Amino acid sequence: MRLLSTLAALSTFTLLGAACIGTTGGELVAFDALAGGPAAHDGGAYAFETGRGYGVRLDVATLHVGALYLNQARPTSVSRDTSCVLAGIYVGELTEGLDVDLLSGALVPFPVEGSGTSERARTAEVWLSGGNIDAQSDPTIIARVAGEATRGGERWPFEGSITISTNRQKPAPDPALPGSEPICKQRVVSPIPVDLELSDGGTLVLRVDPARWFDNVDFAQLEQVGDDPPAYRFRDDDSDQPSRNLYGGVRSSVAFSVSFEN
Amino acid sequence: MRCSLRRVPSLALALAVSSFAPGAFAQATGVTVAQAPQPSAAPRVVPPRIVERVEPAYPQRLLDEPHGDDQLPVAHVELEVTLDASGKIRELVVLASGGELFDAEAMRAVRAWKFAPAQRDGKPIPSRFHVPLNFVPPAHAEPIDPGHDHPEDELPGPDGKVEAPLAVAPEAPPELVDVHGRRMASSRGASDYRVEIGQLAAVPRRHASELLKLAPSVFLLRDGGGEGHADRIYLRGFDAREGQDIELSVGGVPINESGNFHGNGFADLNFIIPEVVGSLRVLEGPFDPRQGNYAVAGSADYTLGLARRGLTAKATYGSFDTTRLLLLAGPENASQGTFAAAEVFRTGGFGQNRDAWRGRAMGQYEGAVGERGSFRLSTAAYGAEYHSGGVLRASDVEAGRKGFYDTNDPNQGGSAARFHVSADVEVPSGSAVYGQQVFAIYSSHRTRENFTGFLLDPQDARQQPHPQRGDLLDLAVTVGTFGARGHGKQGFELGGQKHALELGYLARLDVVGSQQQRVGAATNTPYATTADYYSKLGDVGVYGDLDVHLTKWLALRGGARADLFVYDVDDLCAVRDVSRPSSENPPGDASCLSQQRFGDHREPNQRSSTASLRAMPRAAVLVGPFTGFTISAAYGQGIRSIDPSYVSQDVDTPFAAVQAGEAGVSYAHSFDDFALTAQSVFFVTHVDRDQIFSETEGRNVLGGGTTRLGWAGSARLVADFVDVSTSLSMVRSRFDDTGLLVPYVPDVIARTDAALFGSLPLSIDGAPLGGRVGLGASFVGRRALPYGQRSDLIFVLDAAAALSWKALEFEVAGTNLLDLEYRQSEFNYVSDFSPTDPATLVPARHFAAGPPLGVFASLSATLGGS
Repeated sequence: MRLLSTLAALSTFTLLGAACIGTTGGELVAFDALAGGPAAHDGGAYAFETGRGYGVRLDVATLHVGALYLNQARPTSVSRDTSCVLAGIYVGELTEGLDVDLLSGALVPFPVEGSGTSERARTAEVWLSGGNIDAQSDPTIIARVAGEATRGGERWPFEGSITISTNRQKPAPDPALPGSEPICKQRVVSPIPVDLELSDGGTLVLRVDPARWFDNVDFAQLEQVGDDPPAYRFRDDDSDQPSRNLYGGVRSSVAFSVSFEN
Repeated sequence: MRCSLRRVPSLALALAVSSFAPGAFAQATGVTVAQAPQPSAAPRVVPPRIVERVEPAYPQRLLDEPHGDDQLPVAHVELEVTLDASGKIRELVVLASGGELFDAEAMRAVRAWKFAPAQRDGKPIPSRFHVPLNFVPPAHAEPIDPGHDHPEDELPGPDGKVEAPLAVAPEAPPELVDVHGRRMASSRGASDYRVEIGQLAAVPRRHASELLKLAPSVFLLRDGGGEGHADRIYLRGFDAREGQDIELSVGGVPINESGNFHGNGFADLNFIIPEVVGSLRVLEGPFDPRQGNYAVAGSADYTLGLARRGLTAKATYGSFDTTRLLLLAGPENASQGTFAAAEVFRTGGFGQNRDAWRGRAMGQYEGAVGERGSFRLSTAAYGAEYHSGGVLRASDVEAGRKGFYDTNDPNQGGSAARFHVSADVEVPSGSAVYGQQVFAIYSSHRTRENFTGFLLDPQDARQQPHPQRGDLLDLAVTVGTFGARGHGKQGFELGGQKHALELGYLARLDVVGSQQQRVGAATNTPYATTADYYSKLGDVGVYGDLDVHLTKWLALRGGARADLFVYDVDDLCAVRDVSRPSSENPPGDASCLSQQRFGDHREPNQRSSTASLRAMPRAAVLVGPFTGFTISAAYGQGIRSIDPSYVSQDVDTPFAAVQAGEAGVSYAHSFDDFALTAQSVFFVTHVDRDQIFSETEGRNVLGGGTTRLGWAGSARLVADFVDVSTSLSMVRSRFDDTGLLVPYVPDVIARTDAALFGSLPLSIDGAPLGGRVGLGASFVGRRALPYGQRSDLIFVLDAAAALSWKALEFEVAGTNLLDLEYRQSEFNYVSDFSPTDPATLVPARHFAAGPPLGVFASLSATLGGS
């Protein structure tokens, strides 16, 4: 009788165990995330040369990162999709943002843990918003810069703040397509090329180099807002070349790099 | 399981109940007996009543012996029954013998009857009476299952039970009531479960669907869909959603709705009042040629019957401000198959947004056709309005942003309505039996569900700029079904053995309108139409089933079924996008467009029609050289038709085709004091197009091929005071291409139902108290979820206790007695329920909460009847 009971118990446990073996594939992961300025820079003023021959010294450079996402695939250039969210392609996210001092290479943690899946990521997106990416109005200051540009003995002390709100709304090119320029498109920096696989307990690192924001900025066309001492300002719209190109630089994926360490 | 009830096919049983001789009774017991009418001054004597009856069966031994059908004898047996004051049988004597076999069967059956004692002035007293029984051979004596000494499948259904009241009227002549049983399909093996509800009705069940759990491998969920939402059914490792992979019927009337956009084959069992379900047949696998469309994981047919005769009113009140009023009527001199029932129900629901209203009524009349035939007229009406909690993100609950029983979207819920009428007749003719049924069904469902929050409203260039407006799906489906089924079964002898051939058909036409829209959260108005179909679907299935007995202990059963499906689908919203819209006539935000490329006009609809035919062989072999044991193996193919959205003009309708095989052993035996049945079966199933849940569609969509391998075991013990049913099943469900597990289906399911019942050693005002306790325990193992995750375990304990006295019964029932916070369904997918924050776009755990502890008290009173 004891033998029978033992056999019955063993059989039951074997079957129960066998039934629970297997997986649906993939894995959900949680990871830490950090953000900072260029790794080589350890604080203080940040000096660099731009492609237009300006020497720039940045005294202030901050960026508000609203959220960060990792995708499985890059968007195609021929896509006419006007949606900012392509559900089903995301493998990682950080849904609570932070303000990053880009003059410091020291990494600061995101306020929340990242989550994702173990599938390979090919693209990163940085969302530059204060919350709802579809909101027409968003007063959040996305980027703030201050410093001085020089070229040929001329100086342009400058400052500027960037928001992405109704000031960035582009008109629809075709009245039959009123939704072809949604404001959310202005708030997504993509594609940021990556090739990584998230794993549980790893750390995602986002670095932003503000020098790339000024690649196409012609400081000579900045709006002057003071004479003594001279002061120049980036407008928070696209009405002049420097402002338009700074905004384009902030939204350019070349300033961003994303890596993952297990 | 009272397997001993199920012995003879189409048994025609005549039973008469008469009184005892009063003088002899008085002499023996010292009491007098009622004689109606009673003078007002005379003691008021109430005759004993039959509380539960076990049907005698025509002796199998005679059926097994070679004979012509007209050679089987008719026999009459009369028993004298003496009851003590508690209602127990003190003595049983054969007064008129019909022969040894008939006497033994009559004694066996009547010994299992339960009685309420006679009363005088309200006090129980001993009594004695006569029970005459007529044994009439069946129209066609089908061979039994090999090895089964009491096979369930050969007996008349509950509609064949004898319901003659026990009258104590000495001067009245014995009244003979002929009751004709319905032929039941012969067993297809160890996974052909014939479930007699019996005393297990004492186990608390909120819905008739939960009776399915008396068969192994069945697991039910509501997905947070609300009190009125159809159950999500899992069977043998299939996520059958709301019945899409299970052919469901009640008394032969189909429940699956063809063409329902929520799920082709959608089946809402909520219209069935649990108290009028007598039994059900659950056949796990497509092994019987009678099984039609949707019998992928298997099939289940409810047989209606009301055991409690007379007029009963039952009122219930309990947790969550739940109120239920139930009225039952069962004419005393009619069979269990004749009844009427009606119910109104209201609950505030547990947690947020789970209130519900429901009303339903069912009725059936059963009568005789000729000497051995019968007919049934039945109807059902049902309406419900409800809200549902839906799913929550686990992270929201863990962070305290949501309570466990909260909701994300208070607009979730729905409504449902169903009305059906049916008429059927079954008439023996010589050694043949012919049956015919017609039915008409009207049903409508509205379902509002939001699985994803604010995620699925992409900005289209032609639309005005908009934020995510909300993903609430509002699906409305209306189905009209008209159909008929029929069969003819002819018995014949060959090689000294009895065999049978059955030919039959099912024909149905479904006219379906399905419209699904997305509703804005802020405005609660529809902003997009995602589907709009008007469909006419025809299904004509024919089958042949041969039942061959090579020896007394070896049977081969099988044949083939062929179904022809005809589709005529009008997609009323065929154009949802246009690459270059007209500038002069921009389409704007409309969902169903009437222009094509460059703005050229076209009508917004597109009609498609097609037809397809599928033939499905099915076979079973049953071997039973040893008494009580039957070894069986079965193979079968089945299909599930697809929903209208997949139909293309002149393209063969793709089916989901299933191939299934199994091998098992079953045991059934009646001992002196109890009956025992047990089954063990290993099974394998392959489906070429499985259905996988899509949170974005809010329903199952076609996926790849899958294979399931598993085992199921079950047992039931029935004795005078206890009825226990238990089952355990294990299954592995894998995708064919990747070998990965199919998500959401449970690997392990265990279920136990138990009832204790009998008279208590207490009496009030001289009348004894009766009592019963019911216990139901469900265990579901960790279900595989997407991304390698596993769900939580589920363990739910329900119990009820009842006291009965005279015509009154008081019951207290508790559900989820341990008050465990459990997640009845869990998912891993993407959702975003917080539109003002950055979107959540990676898969996360979601769940729908199971109900917490609920306590419900019921009081019922019965007038008349037995």
